[in-house]
Amino acid sequence: MSRTSIIALLIFGAVLGYLLSFGPDSTRKFQASIYQLIAPFLTSGSGIQKQITSVRTGLKSLEELERDNTSLRVENRQLKATNQALRDVEHEVNRLRHALNYRERSIFKLVPAEIVTRDSSTWWRTVTINRGKEDGVESDMPVVTDEGLVGKTTTVSANISVVLLVSDENCKVAASVEGTREQGIVAGERVTGGLTPMLNLNFLSKQANLKPAQKAYTSGVGGVFPSGLLIGVVKDFRVRELDGQAKLTPGVDLSHLEDVFVVTGRK
Amino acid sequence: MIFFVILVVLVFFAQIAEFFIPPLDWLYNAHVYIVPVIVFYGAMALPFPLMLGLTFFAGLLLDALTVQLVGPRVEISLGSSILLYAVLAGIMHGLRPLFVRGRWEVYAVMTGLGTSAIVLAQYLMISFRRGSVFFSREVWWQIGGPGLIAMLIAPIMFFALHWLARATGYPYLTTRDRFE
Repeated sequence: MSRTSIIALLIFGAVLGYLLSFGPDSTRKFQASIYQLIAPFLTSGSGIQKQITSVRTGLKSLEELERDNTSLRVENRQLKATNQALRDVEHEVNRLRHALNYRERSIFKLVPAEIVTRDSSTWWRTVTINRGKEDGVESDMPVVTDEGLVGKTTTVSANISVVLLVSDENCKVAASVEGTREQGIVAGERVTGGLTPMLNLNFLSKQANLKPAQKAYTSGVGGVFPSGLLIGVVKDFRVRELDGQAKLTPGVDLSHLEDVFVVTGRK
Repeated sequence: MIFFVILVVLVFFAQIAEFFIPPLDWLYNAHVYIVPVIVFYGAMALPFPLMLGLTFFAGLLLDALTVQLVGPRVEISLGSSILLYAVLAGIMHGLRPLFVRGRWEVYAVMTGLGTSAIVLAQYLMISFRRGSVFFSREVWWQIGGPGLIAMLIAPIMFFALHWLARATGYPYLTTRDRFE
């Protein structure tokens, strides 16, 4: 091994040792600064992704038109493209109107946010949103939609934040079940094989005997999540050795999230 | 040096691109990882000190952008991925003579294995932290799937990066003559 390689290895080891000694606070600060650095790339990447999706949908329609009537292909192409553009606008207007209504009638102070990226790693379920400290967002704030609970913020930088989804095994939420006195802890699964993740409602009593379609809400215990937010709907219930466990389907469609709200307090 | 900088820039943009590549639902939600494919190419093409530099950068980005901090708990310490990349890249660096002879299939297979090894190591680290280790079919596919995908895209990356190396006049590749 050459002298340059040995020196490089020593420097590498020293810097690595320094990084490995980072505590949670230093790691969080470091992560936030890296996220802030790449925020412009993520935001513009998100925009490009939306445009590509839109174009792809338009091309699909053209193929259908071609099959239907070849003589009217050109005219139909133009009409379809216009319709597609209008549909996109209509979808956007409806989406924003829906969001605005929820924001007005909610009892919480809500900061609206858009999903910038979805989870890029295998073992953690996260999304990034385009709101950060400059918008009043801090770590451990609940993130919701009008349909229910989405998760909570973890790493927060100036304009971008990471949201740990309720479907992650690490996102633990105290829950109560409607129509019963049952309380438990909801957590996601470490590994999901399908598109729709499932949630586990653990530490129920063995006699809980929950029925499908019963709803689980946040109980407010623990301080992070306010009470009354829909977490999910019971799919099935089973008795384990020490407790009862219910499988829940998330109240929010986590795989198609577009807009969310960060709960920054009560009105 | 220009080629090294190009690889660093490619790693950066590949890491960002990974955010926008959805998991493959037909492969048990396996993720597509491009960064290891570039890093392992660098491990074979770059001299040792620059290889360390590249693995440091890639590991740091991976830790900073994917590792989750929940409350006061750090699941994977900052720097773990650097160490992981360095060890795997070090092994691949040892296979440089084969690479210089143009044996791209060695690079492809090793890239696949290395990618899966990274995902497996992450899984083991979080499993020990969370206090339970289990291996289901989904887990194996989510570990093996990224490796298989990396193995498939590795030859394309190999030829693209090789072309880039030659285009930038990267001198380290010319040593192949000595092996032939």
